Amino acid sequence: MTHALDGLVVLDVSGSIATAYCAKQMADYGAQVINLEPVGGFATRFEPPFVEHLHAPENSALHAYLNTNKRSVCMDALTEPQLRTLLHSAHLLLDDGHLPSRMLPWQPADHCVRMSISWYGAEGQYADFTGSDAQIFALNGMLRNIGHEAGPPLIPTGHQAQFVAGMTAYVGALGHVLAAELGNTNAAVHLNTSIFEAALCFTDVGAITYYNTGLQPARLGINRYPPTSPMGVYPCRDGWLGVSVLTPSQWHAFCELLELPELKDMPLFQTTIGRFEANDIIEPMMCEKLLQHSAEELFYKGQASAIPLARVPTMEELFSVDQFMQRQAFSSASMVGGAQISVPSVPFRLFSTPPHFGGPVATLGEHDPGSLS
Amino acid sequence: MSALSGIRIIDLSMGWAGPLACRHLADMGADVIKVESCERFDWWRSWEATPEWIADDGAEKSVAFNMVNRNKRAITLDLEHPEGRRLLLELVKTAHAVVENYSGDVMHKLNLSYPALQAANPSLILVSMPAFGSTGPWAKFRAYGSTVEQSSGLPHLQGYAEDPPTMEHVALGDAVGGITGASAVLTALRHQARTGEGQFVDLSQVEALHALASHGILEYSVSGTPPARQGNSSPRFAPHGTYPCQEDERGDDVWLVIQVFNETQWQALVTLCPALDEFGDLADRQQRSADLDTSLAAWTAPQNGRELMYRLQAAGVPAAVTNTTADLLEDDQLKARHFWQYMQRAVVGMQPNPSAPYRPGTDPTPIDSPAPTLGQHNEAVLGGILGLGEAKLAELQTQGIIGKRPRMPAQADAGTADTERTQD
Repeated sequence: MTHALDGLVVLDVSGSIATAYCAKQMADYGAQVINLEPVGGFATRFEPPFVEHLHAPENSALHAYLNTNKRSVCMDALTEPQLRTLLHSAHLLLDDGHLPSRMLPWQPADHCVRMSISWYGAEGQYADFTGSDAQIFALNGMLRNIGHEAGPPLIPTGHQAQFVAGMTAYVGALGHVLAAELGNTNAAVHLNTSIFEAALCFTDVGAITYYNTGLQPARLGINRYPPTSPMGVYPCRDGWLGVSVLTPSQWHAFCELLELPELKDMPLFQTTIGRFEANDIIEPMMCEKLLQHSAEELFYKGQASAIPLARVPTMEELFSVDQFMQRQAFSSASMVGGAQISVPSVPFRLFSTPPHFGGPVATLGEHDPGSLS
Repeated sequence: MSALSGIRIIDLSMGWAGPLACRHLADMGADVIKVESCERFDWWRSWEATPEWIADDGAEKSVAFNMVNRNKRAITLDLEHPEGRRLLLELVKTAHAVVENYSGDVMHKLNLSYPALQAANPSLILVSMPAFGSTGPWAKFRAYGSTVEQSSGLPHLQGYAEDPPTMEHVALGDAVGGITGASAVLTALRHQARTGEGQFVDLSQVEALHALASHGILEYSVSGTPPARQGNSSPRFAPHGTYPCQEDERGDDVWLVIQVFNETQWQALVTLCPALDEFGDLADRQQRSADLDTSLAAWTAPQNGRELMYRLQAAGVPAAVTNTTADLLEDDQLKARHFWQYMQRAVVGMQPNPSAPYRPGTDPTPIDSPAPTLGQHNEAVLGGILGLGEAKLAELQTQGIIGKRPRMPAQADAGTADTERTQD
């Protein structure tokens, strides 16, 4: 089968979550991605959650998710000529801003794009800061507005900033790989992506709004984010319903759905800001009605009336959502010994050159340097 | 020469996600032509248009619109008029890709679904990026970035167990959808460049958020149990949370994230804050995490958050102050990296613009042009690319097929009007 990124050689020498996610999309679309791992393996091999009956360094589900369809070579197993040949063949080199000493001095081929993904970039006051996803969300202005009004502000869980940076780096890296193939560049390029700057995609509009208006939104409580109103996750008779009502017609349809005609045409409630300011009036009436119905029923009825309502699935429910099942939104990563775990599939689908859905995960150093062609 | 010089993208998208996807391509030098109409303008200009808003040039004042549409050219075409549709197809013949994020049935109603576009340009790429993807029973369902977040499962991984599933943002799905959209276009462009083949590309914005929820998805996958919702506590580390700081010029809502990931960092923290010496190893700290948080908060509370961040970081302790969005314009690191590029824009004057989040070397890629005004490039695109003369352009203007001022939709009732035909 033909894949969109056939023929592309990608080397990941850092194995951070960000570089791995960037390379994962490429591997799933057919690029030959080679993890050049240190003797002990990439750090992601030691990140939870772990598959119970497997052993380190082959038991990390996170590593498995990030590394389907890639190859693993121990850098120390490479002879000097093998390493140079590999580096020369690479169209894209991914790292965290630092190269292993064996690769120095870096002498890239003319067609090579190097993408360094670091927490804050190579220069500036934060360049030497220790980084984490939570710190990025603190500094990008997002964390401050999550949580109860009195605080403390809530830290987003998981590795969200690193995933965003990985996908952002994919854009920059593939754009410049394409540039080399189109003849738009004729020399090696060293790009860098700061995870901090990548995560500003969520909050840059807030900064510009402040510049223009002087308005600075405060933390207003759980699921309170102006201007959309009503918006939030609300209990129904048997589950949770996601509500986002923005336009006048959505508001009218929502009032009809909940049989709240007395709210529908009130002049104050015809704009989102008007409704936001009247949340204390609207929300109790709305919640009382929501509890009389099932979330599933309201979701389908609401969507039939063009209201953007949502089911809010738990982790357990996520795997049985018919939309996700039909689209194969989750697929299997095959780990050592035949172990299979469910992982998210590639979120975009090229119809003529489809991606791999799931795939094998290489064990540490599984691929003999001599087998790389 | 820019990375994507010679690539032309027709941007039919509206809101945040689709325009952001195309902005990434424009930032790398693609010729991105944004297509709106005078009645069906990008709803991010306003979803509550009024005659007063139009008279006040409201369409050109949207901060959100201007942020995601720089470096593009903009035209208007009434796609519901046969001539408008015909001209779009003429433009499509010159393009490499079209990006759209209308609600599920709009392209079909306009007779602009992929077969129709492909008939005009057999090697065309069409990237469709609805919230739930273009296949499956929810393909035509409506959504915003908030709906995308709600649908992804992510809210069940945030906050406290006693609270409702907790959202992080007014539109978390949009920004992620936009970046993923750019990835999708580039992946298809790479295949097109090698083979000359176009194709239909389907993106689900909700599925793009599954990566951000992967810690919960994977936990459930391997154990059959989702992670507990325990606020800022961590099952692996202590201390781990947000701690209050002294009121400063930004107000009294100042907090510091402090996370200790190893014993070296813990010892460094104890050196700075000797009162923590009563706590022992990780097991002890986790067992007495409430007391630990209280002691740490007592230490941070009278201190300046930003100064303390620098002190802790200098000692090797992971810490970060909670910036406001206003702080971002003055943030030390962003200033040092020249992240904000200031540029004059019609109607609104000087504006800060975020740089592309990937840069060759130390300086950001310069932004060539601010967001275009409605129909700003009608003459340059319809005349320059399609060869329409002045008389034809005037005729199109008279017919209302093109224009440079928004109009209230003909069916609008009194007051406000929905102009959207899309999701984010």
